[in-house]
Amino acid sequence: MRRRDLGGFWAGALIAGVVLWSLVTADVELSRLISAGPRIADFLGRMFPPDPTVMEEIWKGSAETLRIATLGTVGAVILSIPLGLLATETMVSPAIHRPVRTFLAFVRAIPLILVAMLMVGAVGLGPLPGIIAVAFHATGMLAKFYAEAIEGVSRAPIAALESAGAGPLLRLRHAIWPQIAPVVARDTIFRFELNLRESLILGIVGAGGIGFYIQTYVRSFQYDKAASVTIAVIVMVIAIEAINVALRRRFS
Amino acid sequence: MRNAIDIDDLSFRHDAAAQPAIEQVSLGIAAGERVALLGPSGAGKTTLLTLLDGRLHGWRGRVSVLGHPQVPERAPALANRADTGFIFQEFALVERSTVMRNALNGRLGRMPAWRGLLGSAAKRDVDIATAALRDCGIAELVDRRVDSLSGGQRQRVAIARCLAQEPRLILADEPVSNLDPARAAEILGLLTTAAKARGATTMFSSHQPELARRFADRVIGMRNGRIVFDLPTGQLTDDATAALYGDADPAPGVRLKVVS
Repeated sequence: MRRRDLGGFWAGALIAGVVLWSLVTADVELSRLISAGPRIADFLGRMFPPDPTVMEEIWKGSAETLRIATLGTVGAVILSIPLGLLATETMVSPAIHRPVRTFLAFVRAIPLILVAMLMVGAVGLGPLPGIIAVAFHATGMLAKFYAEAIEGVSRAPIAALESAGAGPLLRLRHAIWPQIAPVVARDTIFRFELNLRESLILGIVGAGGIGFYIQTYVRSFQYDKAASVTIAVIVMVIAIEAINVALRRRFS
Repeated sequence: MRNAIDIDDLSFRHDAAAQPAIEQVSLGIAAGERVALLGPSGAGKTTLLTLLDGRLHGWRGRVSVLGHPQVPERAPALANRADTGFIFQEFALVERSTVMRNALNGRLGRMPAWRGLLGSAAKRDVDIATAALRDCGIAELVDRRVDSLSGGQRQRVAIARCLAQEPRLILADEPVSNLDPARAAEILGLLTTAAKARGATTMFSSHQPELARRFADRVIGMRNGRIVFDLPTGQLTDDATAALYGDADPAPGVRLKVVS
């Protein structure tokens, strides 16, 4: 066997080992899944018909989720503009852009729900911890996107403006900004869509929004009401995606 | 009158290049002169023009532009840069901005910073940009976005931006090499005429000796980073240009790419 074939063999063996280890040690009893069949059917049955009397809660929760996503996105944009600039290879020295990039990767690595839990602990229940968590979490991605947009610009107009005597801020305003504006708009809308989707569940940890009602109804066994809220969430996600597809087409 | 450009024993090598791009060049150009730089690709024309524009560092020798001695380690002061205009071979326009916005970009070094940042040019700046666009024959295109223009129209916008800058020295790097011959002569004509009307010194590089004959007072031939000849236009002979572009005496190890 050649080295490359051996590499494939070891990769396969490793994957098989991890799967086997998970199966053996996870304490999964397939018999339980089979015997639970009728219970699952009963559970689903209790969700139907969905209870339409919770419309008011749905509106209230959806509006709060929309507020969290909107203000969280605004916060992320405000943080991402300076951080995005500081993360560009072309504008800043490696001594600055390397640590900034590492920091952004670190921010991206923390799941939103974890940030939200920490924020609930820090500032208490309600939409505020949700907004802070969304802003923090989204900055990790948005600042990276902004930096990439800046790095993708054509350099020639920047040199031309420098040659005409324009300082760095004026070059940013008149040579870089016109080039990145559509990309920044597209990335921001995309991140807003993600923020809205991800903030739907923030209520589960007490960080505000429609997720609060899902958690409340499931815990109190009101599955018909939980079903209504779930349907509302699905409708919202589909609507957001449809609106964003239309918006993004305008900026391409 | 003081020279617009004084160069003494200038040498420059690009990072990691085997051959110097410019070698022991000495040159004086009087204010108001129209100078053509001739030479094959790789002769050092673009390097020399970019260096005079203050965008190259690490050269050796003495260089003075419009009475300001240049420093090899750093770019010239922003305040002095507006006096030197540069026309790029590939136009270097902001494609998504309008023709007027691009022309006004030439004014950025001449207006207060707050006006530049707000994008609110004073009437005087708009008037100067409008006059430059009119001189370039594209006054009717002011509101068009640059990415909707043809190559010839783009080069006119690039020249208008340079003229709007009100430079005392215009450096043009093969300003018409992307255009067909008739259009090339027309645009080089309007550039040199507009420059003369504004009392600016002009230095343009070209591959075409006929254009140098028509639009320059003086022709400098460059090859392999050195000046081969420096003549009043009237004394430029066909033999001199043939020798410049011919393969009679290529430097060892250098392959010349002749562009017609």
